[in-house]
Amino acid sequence: MHRARTMLSVPTNRRSILKGAAGAAGLAALGRRAPVRGVSAATGLSVLSPLAPDPAPPGVAEFAIPEFDAWKAANDVDVTYEAVAWPQLHDKMATNFASGTHVHDIMYNCGWVPEFAQFLTPMDAYLPADLVADLPPSSFSTVGWDGKKLGVVFSLSLLTLFYNTEHLELAGLKEPPKTWDELKGYAKELTRDGRSGWVLNYGAPEGIGGVASYWMTFLQQAGGTMYGADGMPVFNDAPGIDALSLMVEMMTNGSTDPGSLSYVGINDATNVLTAGNASMMMNWPFMWKPANDPESSQIVGKLGSAILPAGPVTSASIDGTDAWTIAATSAAPEKAAELIGFYLSPEVQKKQWLDTGWLPIRLSVLEDAEVQAAAPNAAVVLEQAKLPYDSFVTPDYNEVTQALGTEIQKALGGAKTPEEALKDASDQVTEIVKKRLG
Amino acid sequence: MNRGRLGRVGVGAGLAAFVLWTLLPILWLVISSLLRTKALTSRPPDLSAASWTLGNYREVLASGQALGPALLTSAIVSLGTTLIALALGSAAGYALARLSIPGGDRIALLVLATQMFPGIVIVIPLFIVMSRLGLIDTRAGLIVVYLSFVLPVVIWILKGFFEAIPPELEKAAAVDGASAWNTFRLVVLPISWPPLFAAGVFAFIEAWNEFLFAVVLTRLHTKTVPIAISEFAGQYQTKIGEMMAAAVLASLPVVALAIIFRKAILRGFAEGAVKG
Amino acid sequence: MSSPAETGDWERGRRRTGLLLVLPALAVLAAVVLYPIARTLLLSFQRAKLAPGGLQTEFAGLAQYRQMAGDEAFWLAVRHSAFFTIGEVLLVVVISLGAALLLHHPMGRSPVFRVILLIPWAIAPVANAILWKWIYNANYGVLNAVVTGLGLSERPVNWLGDPSLALRMLLLADVWKSVPFITLLLLAGLQNIPSYLYRAATVDGAGAWNRFRFVTLPGLRAPLMLAVVLQTIWSFKVFDLIFVLTKAGPADATLLLNFLAYRVSFNFLDFGYGAAIANAIFLIMLVLAILIVRGFAPRRSAGAQGKLA
Repeated sequence: MHRARTMLSVPTNRRSILKGAAGAAGLAALGRRAPVRGVSAATGLSVLSPLAPDPAPPGVAEFAIPEFDAWKAANDVDVTYEAVAWPQLHDKMATNFASGTHVHDIMYNCGWVPEFAQFLTPMDAYLPADLVADLPPSSFSTVGWDGKKLGVVFSLSLLTLFYNTEHLELAGLKEPPKTWDELKGYAKELTRDGRSGWVLNYGAPEGIGGVASYWMTFLQQAGGTMYGADGMPVFNDAPGIDALSLMVEMMTNGSTDPGSLSYVGINDATNVLTAGNASMMMNWPFMWKPANDPESSQIVGKLGSAILPAGPVTSASIDGTDAWTIAATSAAPEKAAELIGFYLSPEVQKKQWLDTGWLPIRLSVLEDAEVQAAAPNAAVVLEQAKLPYDSFVTPDYNEVTQALGTEIQKALGGAKTPEEALKDASDQVTEIVKKRLG
Repeated sequence: MNRGRLGRVGVGAGLAAFVLWTLLPILWLVISSLLRTKALTSRPPDLSAASWTLGNYREVLASGQALGPALLTSAIVSLGTTLIALALGSAAGYALARLSIPGGDRIALLVLATQMFPGIVIVIPLFIVMSRLGLIDTRAGLIVVYLSFVLPVVIWILKGFFEAIPPELEKAAAVDGASAWNTFRLVVLPISWPPLFAAGVFAFIEAWNEFLFAVVLTRLHTKTVPIAISEFAGQYQTKIGEMMAAAVLASLPVVALAIIFRKAILRGFAEGAVKG
Repeated sequence: MSSPAETGDWERGRRRTGLLLVLPALAVLAAVVLYPIARTLLLSFQRAKLAPGGLQTEFAGLAQYRQMAGDEAFWLAVRHSAFFTIGEVLLVVVISLGAALLLHHPMGRSPVFRVILLIPWAIAPVANAILWKWIYNANYGVLNAVVTGLGLSERPVNWLGDPSLALRMLLLADVWKSVPFITLLLLAGLQNIPSYLYRAATVDGAGAWNRFRFVTLPGLRAPLMLAVVLQTIWSFKVFDLIFVLTKAGPADATLLLNFLAYRVSFNFLDFGYGAAIANAIFLIMLVLAILIVRGFAPRRSAGAQGKLA
């Protein structure tokens, strides 16, 4: 099981404890970084990270620890982790930035890169060419802004289809659905014996993993896009309405778990599938491990995975964007980049999957035979990665997805037609984007 | 006689309803902490013998680094907050209730008004103040901030009690030549320990449970119990069993205190400060 | 304000001591909240953007208050907050009064009941919120297991997914968590009512209802006032439950003012507008608090206990 908690936010050695305490006091007094000289010549790096089992680096999650210790010794670096529960990450960063304090050298980011762009160091100069060549090019689309690479994704986390193989067999369905029509048909067919054909967390409107982002997945499958060349929204068109109509139809015909509208986190929906109470969902690659853990799952060995069913145009997905970024105020951006390079080194990437369940991002590691054997869904995610996956993140992503998601929920709840909802959403998003573009 | 029996049955039924209303969710909390996640997501929840486990508690205790120091931090912070709030709050409450300071009513309302700002919005300027004072990630910092929301309520609770003290008591002291300070110290405080205790219970529990400010003002060294508990809920997974086990463990000190001091609570809340 | 007939010197001495006694508490409060509150007041008249080094502000006058007046989400949140606050204050006070009367009754005086009463209060709010989220879960929640098991509903109820139900379910969870403190407060108040008043009322032939109406309720005036004021403030500020259970959804059906202020400040990073909403919340609460305190003030101005603003 995940024993990673044992490491949480414990400074890695005694020296860094002293340093952390002195640093905190110095920071407080000066309002900026106050390096403590004389204690040691080592470089101090402070890292803001989620806690395991969310995607976390070695030292927070328990993997590649000997490698991590060796790297620190070889590079004469002290690493201090501030590891917090995922829901607190964004607001911690916002508070630090808004109060003008420098705290972290390296920060985990997830879809917030454009929003926090001015606080991040462009990484173009720090990323070795061989590393960039080994990463999917589109992985940079969600961690860049204004043409600069502001972060690097460390786990390939795309939505794919997950389904209960036993339920499909019982219904006489041989293969996972490949098209929207099959998806709808399957979902209806599989809704029986108190089970639902489809489940997803539609309860939270905003952010990656909110209902708006799920609709964006369908939008791309229908060949649509969020913004035109001028940056203004163009989603209120046929593909947009098709995408929303699909979600609404599957909701109103009873093949979506009605609770979906109340689930605010992916965990709520995952539990329904792993309890065997629903047959299909979209989920992140991480699903594989908990669904095959007998402590939490009733569908051990019965989980299938496939690329998402294609809409009228293509199969498409969105990107979970678990990325590392460097603070613009960091005193040691080179060292910080080296640490990120270590997180992305092939051996750490490999252990990341084998020990934590988070897929690597390096293509060479994803294609590694041992990784593929241990991760039957890795090949699926890799295949999905060859198809479009844009999360359409902008600095106002939260505000856009809040407005859009709320309208989508109205359509799902039957208070508006898909056409009305998208029209109203488009009007609101236009206002939001105009505000940003000035 | 018949009416009396009817009344007793009514009170008994009311008490039973009270116990059920209060304890059913708690019972489910404890059950959740003892079940495998698999059993909890079954429909209906699977309460058969195979579902029960102490694994959640083992996991929480094995990662004791998180909960252990958090319990210590929370105990120090809550106790510190309580003692200071009682010292400052009883003085202020007495002054506002009895010593007819000019504008006393307005001061009392002003004190309460500090509670009316949404904490979430003042958190950024508060963060700036605390970091200028060097109090980020310190226990002292948490105590100071907790005082700001515990103190007003403590003042109002105690003010209410002091207002109910018969004026004759103080006048008698005044005739004996006691100053206002000595009257407060030697006459009023000794008969007020039950309401002090009640206000103290309030201060302790509120400080023990505070979450929002702790998230922002804590980095590495002063994680409190609610933060340690919140860490079981992530983006992709919530470890419900472990979280409930941690919640049970974290509530035990408070419940233990309540049991140890049950007589004092009984006196504090059941006898009151003053009998007419 | 009552002006006693004592000599001026004695009264002046008491005032001076009073100021000295109240100052330390005021100093602590001022040190912690004065700047944040002043900054928030100021911020509401500024457009604020995140910028390196902190917030970049420019004067915006009343623009953000005008924005608020035309903001549908704001008025929706006002309506929800009004419903939530009134509902919670009524429910909490009625339930707590009932519980306090029960615990005050000779049959309810066992310490066991007091310990039980404290337990919901002692549960960390985050764990409490997650507990209720699981209880209410539409698919595998225990509440649906009970409701369908008892045959009260044929199909599972979508407690948090049904816009007309969601806010009520949040209300119920918060009422449960709020009852213990208010009960303790009222219980303490009950014990302060001199027993001779009850004896006198009984001698005068008053029945149980009249004793309650003419002795208990007037005797509880001060603690009831405090209970209503505090519960109003706390109901307005509910946050954890919404953050964990519904994120204000579905379709903003559980959007309360405090959550809106959070969303605008931290999700949209519009700290100026967030501050304006915070000030609106503050003003509403201040007016409510003054009205409540006035409303509970005794009709007759006699007595030293009548100094409640």
